[in-house]
Formats: sequence, structure tokens, C-alpha cells
Amino acid sequence: MTTDKSASTGGIIMVVGGGISGLTTAIESAEVGYEVLLVEKEPSLGGRVSQLKQYFPKLCPPTCGLEINYRRIKDNPKIKVFTMAEVEEVDGSPGDYTVKIKITPRYVNEKCTACGECEKVCESEISNDYNLGMDKRKAAYLPNNIAFPSRYVMSSSMLEDDKNKVKEACKFDAIDFDMQEKSLEFKVGAIVWATGWTPYDARKISNLGFGMYQNIITNMMLERLAAPNGPTKGEILRPSDSKAPDTIAFAQCAGSRDENHLSYCSYICCMASLKHATYLRGQYPNAKIYIYYIDIRASGRKYENFYKKLKQDENIFFIKGKVAEVSEEESTGNINLVAEDTISGEKVRQNVDMLVLATGMQPNASLDKPNADLQFNSDGFIVNDFKEGGMFAAGCANKPADVITSNQNATGMALKAIQTLVGR
Amino acid sequence: MAEKYLAQPDLGFIDEIVNLGGDTLKKCFQCATCSVACPIAPDNSPFPRKEMIAASWGLKDKLISSGDIWLCHECGDCSELCPRGARPGDVLSAIRSTAIVEYAQPKSLARAVNDPSKLPFLLGIPAIWFAIFAYITMAAGETMTRLFNKIGIAWSHDTHGAIAHSDFFSTWFVDLTFIPLSIFVTIAFAIGLKRFVVDIHENAVAENKTNRKDLNWGGLASAFVRIIPVILKHDKFNECEANKDRSTAHMMILYSFIGLAIVTGIFFVVLYIFHIPGPYSQFNPVKWIANISGVALVIGSCLMIKNRMAKEDQVTLYKDWYILCIVLSLGVTGLLAEMTRLAGAATFSYFLYYLHLIAVFNLFAFLPFSKMAHIVYRIAAMAYAEYGNRK
Repeated sequence: MTTDKSASTGGIIMVVGGGISGLTTAIESAEVGYEVLLVEKEPSLGGRVSQLKQYFPKLCPPTCGLEINYRRIKDNPKIKVFTMAEVEEVDGSPGDYTVKIKITPRYVNEKCTACGECEKVCESEISNDYNLGMDKRKAAYLPNNIAFPSRYVMSSSMLEDDKNKVKEACKFDAIDFDMQEKSLEFKVGAIVWATGWTPYDARKISNLGFGMYQNIITNMMLERLAAPNGPTKGEILRPSDSKAPDTIAFAQCAGSRDENHLSYCSYICCMASLKHATYLRGQYPNAKIYIYYIDIRASGRKYENFYKKLKQDENIFFIKGKVAEVSEEESTGNINLVAEDTISGEKVRQNVDMLVLATGMQPNASLDKPNADLQFNSDGFIVNDFKEGGMFAAGCANKPADVITSNQNATGMALKAIQTLVGR
Repeated sequence: MAEKYLAQPDLGFIDEIVNLGGDTLKKCFQCATCSVACPIAPDNSPFPRKEMIAASWGLKDKLISSGDIWLCHECGDCSELCPRGARPGDVLSAIRSTAIVEYAQPKSLARAVNDPSKLPFLLGIPAIWFAIFAYITMAAGETMTRLFNKIGIAWSHDTHGAIAHSDFFSTWFVDLTFIPLSIFVTIAFAIGLKRFVVDIHENAVAENKTNRKDLNWGGLASAFVRIIPVILKHDKFNECEANKDRSTAHMMILYSFIGLAIVTGIFFVVLYIFHIPGPYSQFNPVKWIANISGVALVIGSCLMIKNRMAKEDQVTLYKDWYILCIVLSLGVTGLLAEMTRLAGAATFSYFLYYLHLIAVFNLFAFLPFSKMAHIVYRIAAMAYAEYGNRK
């Protein structure tokens, strides 16, 4: 990509969220010559995609798509990235917004080379959010092994003793505990909200036992277990006794298409479970996989073919009927599940080593509402008001979507933002 | 499943279900959460998922002849977990309503009982009937005494000077009303019940819900005996989660009816065989049963009404209110009539007794047609499930 033939710019585009959608909007806008401020609340870009083992359509590892994008950002002086930054307030109108952002101190400056000496000496530990709390990490940590910026973070909860130790260990004078929270203000012409999603809190689904029984995990947890940079280095082992599971069941629509939880279809969970079946088949050729579903939503030719291929697999079983009751077999930690197979009309009671809940997407905008003049639908997704213009939602801030759809949408929103700047 | 099944959708039936509280029917997307959520659904061909799709397709014949709709105790566990708010519990309740009408003879009476615009008639006819006979009792005592003497029986009983309701409304008239009525009710039920049992058997065979090929009435009767303790202990009811408190209220009403039936039977014998007329002493143990039952009836029905009003995810319609109000007024008027009698307020007591008679008539005469018919159909379906090894 080249930025040489860039058009003359008439303002700045702010992109909120540095996941796959935000990256796309930021890069597409910058590469046609616009100034972009990319605001990410985590210490690294990459968002949910960075947590996956593989992602659709080609089942690439996240490095595949993220590294090229990081590279494009590095090479492009028009993109300014703020990590650990959150939008506090938006004022103004299309073409003329004033945005206040708050930056949480990282306690590490640009001199960091990610050498890891600080991590070695630090003894304090914190819950590892990157692995959805399945393990702990040091209070001096690199967000993940493909983090961008590739720079350590010092948790504010680090013990004083450790603070001295890590400062001493750093040969580059990169650690600075005197950093303060910062507030910055920017004038921008357009804002693209790519605030993404959070896995729905499976604890709320009272009849599916998550949080009560160890061997009931969520699909994102499985993704972390399967990922080579995950808590088990890519080995899918069940939590209670680190046993390799022989029988694994998936409960589709766990909290999605459900008025008591998320009333909409989260779109990704069917394909995610099908993909997870391939992870399991790859790792455990003899394992039996049972997918309990209401409807399999494999939309489009490619996804349909993927589903068809899995249906042929002799170790993957599809049962039409939602898992609605679970219990734990005390002696083994196995999970007993109950569903009605609606094809045969019989209740199915099955004992499995592990149950995976295919939980859906909750828009972050519904959990932490942006302080801006935006419209939300009843599910908390941001509605795009193209007539008003100025602010747009891209990717999963706008609707549940896979990576391809998010990127198409994010590219479109880059164009919408540009149109606002040039006054069309 | 039968080899071939030609679906015959009855669109009118769908409307009927919708109007009877099953308006959420079409929201169902067949996820089958309900069949698992239901604590009493069997493993083989569980309900209510299959009933939901049959109802939305208008398969009336399949549904009203299904014993399964009666195994449901309407606890609401399915409605609570339903991801679509389709309220299967209410849909099944609506289907049962249509089944009661379907098996009732005469059907026009069944429709009237379930139609709020006919309520004035349902109350008015017994009101006039009892008014006429109260008038005869009060005003034509001497004529009646002469008339009765001619056939050699005593018109009135000596009531030892106490206030007695028989002075207001002769026990002869009470029994001349209610004995033919109970014969009518029994016949109406017998006709409906026979068709019902034959139908649910056929349905169970067609849908593989039983391992019995033939219907053996003796076997069914012994199955009935086996389920009596289940009913008395409310075992099935108590398996419910969402609506647990309803079981207690229902139990109170059931036991008070059993108590009152026993009391009525005893006093019938006492009056006609031992020729001892009422009112009976408050120290009489039978009277204790009567009083306890009356109080339990009022408390039970009040609790039920309270539960109904508190429940937002369950619809309560005319069919439910009608029967709840009849039961409550039965208890209230009965107890008040007794209390005013003991207090010596004859006019009040007579009036309350008059209202009590109307309530008894409504409960009794319309038993096979109102929601109360569940006494017979649910027990029959439970007995059949026991007989047919429904598991």
C-alpha cells in the first residue's frame, strides 16, 4: 500500500476501538490520506481476534491478519495510536467534534524493548484477562505475544517491593511509576465507533451451570485453550483435572435468541462451534463431538460447505434440540446434560467429559455506553444514522458479525467518515 | 409415529387457542427447552414442545385426544425458561379448555359456561329456581304439609326452635334439585370420559407413547387405584419449581372438597335414615370437618387468586376467574350463612344460604363443562399414563 497519491485532507477521523474493525477503518482512512486517531482501551490492539486460535474464512491464526495490519500502521505516519485510552465525552456536530479521552498510565514508556526482564523478577500476580481468567500472569506483563505496541504494562496492583525490583531489572529505563492519568482533548471531523463485543456472561444462564461446574466452559474459553499462546499451550484439556476430553458437547444458542438474555442471534456461534469441532478432531482423532442446536446458521456458500463437510464426519453428531438442563457427576466431574432430540421426539440424557456453551456477543456499547449523541437499538447495538452522519458504528458495535462482514462494514464506514469530512 | 399422517389443519382451532390465552403460541421456534424444563414430562415423547408445533399447525384432533395435555399441572417451569416468551404452559391450558368443550355433552352448555356474556344466565337460572322454592317453603308450609302427609312423609323436620335453613329452603327441595343434577352430571361425565379414554388410548398407540395394544378397563381401574396416593400427596405438583406455592393452595381446596363431600354424605344418611334433622351441634366431630373444610376452602382459593394476580408471565382469563370465584364464594357464603345462623340473624343467614345454593349449583351443575372438569380428565389421563407405562 502506498500513501503517496493521498488526497488533501480536511480534518481528522477518530476511530474508537482497535480490534479488527477499528484497524480496518483506521488503515483504510489513513491510506487514502486522512489523519486518524485510533483509540484503544486495552494495552494492545487486536481485540477479540487476537484471542482466537484461528479465524474464518480461511482458519488463519490471528497473526496472519493482525501483523500485516500492525505493519501498515507502523509505516503510516497519519495514524496515531492511543492504547489504554477511553473516550470520556464527545461534543459538537458532524465535521466538528471535540473529544475528551482519558489515558490510564501504563507505567512503561517508549524505551521498552519487551525484553521481559521485569516480568522475570516480578512476583505479584494478577488474573489473566487475555485467557479469560483461566490462569494468572505477572503484574509486569506483555498483553500477548503479538501485542502492538510491543511494550510491557505494569499493573497498578503491583506490590511496592516488586515495583522496586522491576525498575531495577529494566536496563532501558523504561519503567516509570510516576506516570499519571492523562486527559487529552481533540478536534475531529468524524468518529467511527468500533467498540466491539464481550462474550455474554454465561453465569446469567441459570440452567446451564456455568460457574457451578468446572467442566462447563464457554466457546471463547475453548478458543484460548486451543490457542498455542493460551493457558495450556494449545492443548485442549478440561479444567477440573486437566484430562484430555473424550466426549465433548456443545450447547448452541447459550444465551442467544433468548428473551431472558440476548434476544438476537449472535451469528458467529454456529460457525465457531463447527470450527471448534475441527480443533478437537485435529487434536483428538477419537473424541466424539455432539453439537446440540436449534438451527445451524451457516450462511453463505463457504460456511454451508464447511458445515456439510463436518456433517459427514463420523465422530461429529448433530442433535436438533437445545440443552436445557445440566448437572455434574460428582465422582468424575463429568457433565450430565438433558435435551430433547426434536427429530426423534425423545429426551436425550448424555454424560460428557466437557460441555462448551456457545455464548453470544454482547455489544460493549450496551455494557459501557459511549458518552456521545448516538442511537442504540433495544439490544444495545449502535444504529447508524447516515442522514445525520458524522458518527458511525463499524463491526460488532453495529451488529453481530464475523471478521469478513466486520471488515466490509468497517471499510464502508471509513468511506462514510471521509464523506463527512469532505462535506458530502 | 403412524406410517402416514395426513395433517388436517384447523385454522379456527388456532384462533380458539389464541383467544383462550395461547396468544404467544406462534412465537415458539421449537428449541425444546420446555420439554426439558418440565419436571414431569416423560423421556419418551416429552411435552410440551410437540404440542406447541401441533397447536400452531392447527392439529386439533391430535391435541384434544392427547392424554399428555392433562399430565401437565400448569406449573409454569416451561414458560419461565422459554427463550421466546411463547408460554407453553398457557398454550397447554388453552388446549385443555378446548378439550373440555369437545368432550362435553351437551356442547352448547359447555360453550355457555366458557362465555362471559352468558354468566347472567348461569347465575340467574339457579337464582330464580331457588327463589321459587324458597317462596314455597316460607309461604306455603301448610299446603306442603298436607300434600306430603297424603304420600305419608313428613314435610318439615322439628328443628327444636333454632334457626334452621330448612325453614327457609326445604331440604326436600335441596335434594330434589341436587340429586337429579348429580345424575345428570354423572351421565355427562360418563359419556365424555368414555370417549376421552378411548381417544387418548388410540392417540398413545399411534404416537408410540404406550406399550399396550388394547384398552383394558380393569387394568385402567387398578392403575387409578395406584395413582390415588400420588394425587393426594400432590407428588407431581410438588416437582414444579416456578410455581411451588400453588401446590399448597390446590391441596387445601382438594382436601376441603373431599371433607365437604364426606360431611354431606354423612348428614344425608343421618337425615334420611336416622331421621335426625339439622342444624347439628358444633360439638359434633362431623361439624368440625365441615368447618375446617370451609375455612380451608376460603384460604386455599384466596391463595390461588393471590398467586394468579401476582404472576405476570401467566395469563388468567375468564375460565380461570369463573371457577376461582365460584369456589371462593362457595366457601365464603357457606361459612357466613353458618355464622349468621349461630348469631341469630335469621334474615341475613337465609340470604347468605340462598347465595350459597347458587354457588353450589354453579359448581356442581357445570362441573363437566368448566375448568373444574380437570378433576375427571386429569385423573383419567394420569391413570391412563400409569396403565400405559408412560415413561
